[in-house]
Amino acid sequence: MGTRFDVILRGVDAQHLEAVAVAVCEEIQRLDAALSRFNASSEIARVNRAASQKAIRVDREIFALLVRCEQAREMTDGYFDVTATTGGNGLMLDAEHCTVAFTRTDLAIDLGAIGKGYALDCGREILSRFGVNDALLQGGTSSVLALGEREWPIAIRHPLKPEEIVKRIALKNRGFSCSAIRHVHQAQSDIVNPHSGTSVSGADACVVFAENAAEAEIFSTALLAMGKEKVSRYLKTMADASLQVAWF
Amino acid sequence: MSITRRTFLETAGATLASSALLRAEDAPVRVAIIGTGGRGSDLIRALTTIDELTLIGVCDNYPPHLEQGAKYAGPQAKTFSDYRKMLDELKPQAVVIAVPLYLHYQVAADCLSAGCDVFLEKTMCFTVDEAKKLVAQVIASKHVFQVGLQRRANAIYKQAQAMVAAGMIGQVTSIKSQWHRNNSWRRPVPVPKSNANWLKLERKLNWRLYKAYSAGLMAELGSHQMDVANWFLGTHPKRVIASGGIEYFRDGREVYDNISCLYEYELKGADGKPYTVRANYTSICNNAYEGAAELIMGTKGSLYLTSEKGLLFQEKGTDAVNWEGGKNAADANAAVVTAGKTLKLSNDPWAHRGAPIEIDIAEGNDTRDELISFIDHVRRQDVKTICDVNVGMMDCATILIANQSVESGGWVKFPSERRG
Repeated sequence: MGTRFDVILRGVDAQHLEAVAVAVCEEIQRLDAALSRFNASSEIARVNRAASQKAIRVDREIFALLVRCEQAREMTDGYFDVTATTGGNGLMLDAEHCTVAFTRTDLAIDLGAIGKGYALDCGREILSRFGVNDALLQGGTSSVLALGEREWPIAIRHPLKPEEIVKRIALKNRGFSCSAIRHVHQAQSDIVNPHSGTSVSGADACVVFAENAAEAEIFSTALLAMGKEKVSRYLKTMADASLQVAWF
Repeated sequence: MSITRRTFLETAGATLASSALLRAEDAPVRVAIIGTGGRGSDLIRALTTIDELTLIGVCDNYPPHLEQGAKYAGPQAKTFSDYRKMLDELKPQAVVIAVPLYLHYQVAADCLSAGCDVFLEKTMCFTVDEAKKLVAQVIASKHVFQVGLQRRANAIYKQAQAMVAAGMIGQVTSIKSQWHRNNSWRRPVPVPKSNANWLKLERKLNWRLYKAYSAGLMAELGSHQMDVANWFLGTHPKRVIASGGIEYFRDGREVYDNISCLYEYELKGADGKPYTVRANYTSICNNAYEGAAELIMGTKGSLYLTSEKGLLFQEKGTDAVNWEGGKNAADANAAVVTAGKTLKLSNDPWAHRGAPIEIDIAEGNDTRDELISFIDHVRRQDVKTICDVNVGMMDCATILIANQSVESGGWVKFPSERRG
């Protein structure tokens, strides 16, 4: 992750809100330390170093997250895949022993397309534990979670033309994620179509609103890789009617 | 520039992060944990990634924390609210303890009496007397015992300690360390202030803020960093003078929200003559500028250490000039000599640093590595752990005398070895 997170809480007891905000930030930091593939002391870095040689035991939280990633991979016809950049479909999970192994060498897990959303959802659990139900959490300006009955105004900037606001929305009790085809300074997308192995082109960005932030992030990533045409067919097969999608 | 593992093994003879050398036929160690709050949960997650143990029990007397601990531990772990009952029923081989400081001694003593090897979170004890009693009990019991000062298991710190021991920064003359943050250090309470249970829960969750349960910033943060000073200097301080108070977070807390300490260590030079090393330590809660780090300063260089990064800054000076490098070497270096002298005399804070050399071995996670090392010692029944009861005692006394100094307003000597 290694990106900026904001925790905005509304309430009446400033001392309480401050303590809750710190608890949420500490939780996000904890997850960043565990999930970032760039941090050599992270759990994911430990898996990436050794899972080609043997099954690596991970903690139950990370195992559950990897199971969820595998379910998302199956549900999106392989378009969401945490091993996509190294060839895809690379995980063997053993629930009995809580282990993960790679199916091939040269594989690596990259949770960049779910980590921010997952961290925000974990933040939501802390908020509900401490009675805060009016909040906006954001990570990396691309993942947002709004909580409570009030609408939070959100302006979506075009990822390739940052000065241009393409949409203004009111987010209420929803997760939101925007996946862009590339960064402003990138020449080519680093999102890979797992079926062709080539980098994705087409729409500049896909915006998804969902029940929670991780779900939004999974689908904004997968649908962008899937491409507009295939998505309209795909969405008709989806059981989850709460998903809303926008393109630009 | 970075120092590779190989060059370091050659130059400094350092040992790298310990990997457990285990016999394949050994059954996994049966481990239980007491205390499943924030730190306890960190330990549970790390424990569940280690093949050589099975986590059989989790215990906490606060139900939300127990529920969280049980979730991380998995269904094979039985849950308890009373640790004595857990010890009785499960008879674990080893116990990991992460309870509030004021309970450390009693819980650890009970676990040892129940025949368990013990991993006890830092700071080892709440008082020097308790620490002395625990030292005696651990030694008499012959049980494996380790204190959770995880820098002792951190590859960067182990490397840095070997560099100091090998003389790479010359004679250590000064240490400066700090843990600076900008937040209230206050944990949230799950019920509003109007609730009848608020006060009780607030004391329970914010035990760090009250003197009946906590020794404040020195115990929770300073203990890690003063242990680095004790470790690198190879001894404990002779005395300390410290000042602290509650200057900003006047919210009913009793422990200081800022503290500054000056420790004196007495060492002997190669010529047999004694000299004093002074170590400055500060911890503050309303400015995070310097974060958490230790700076070990020697006559030839400085080591700047954090859990994730270790940097060696060599002192700049004219001795770096190549006088022997051929006919015109001195001429070619004339400007450097001048610059070197200028630098040596300059008060510019940036002038003396040079480009740092990074200790490039940040692969492990020190919390996981300290537990791997503990379990390894349990399996081999080796009492010489990486942070044994004597190290824990020394660290505990080091931080407690700083608090005593704040209260008495004068120098406080390191307590005598004698019990009582």
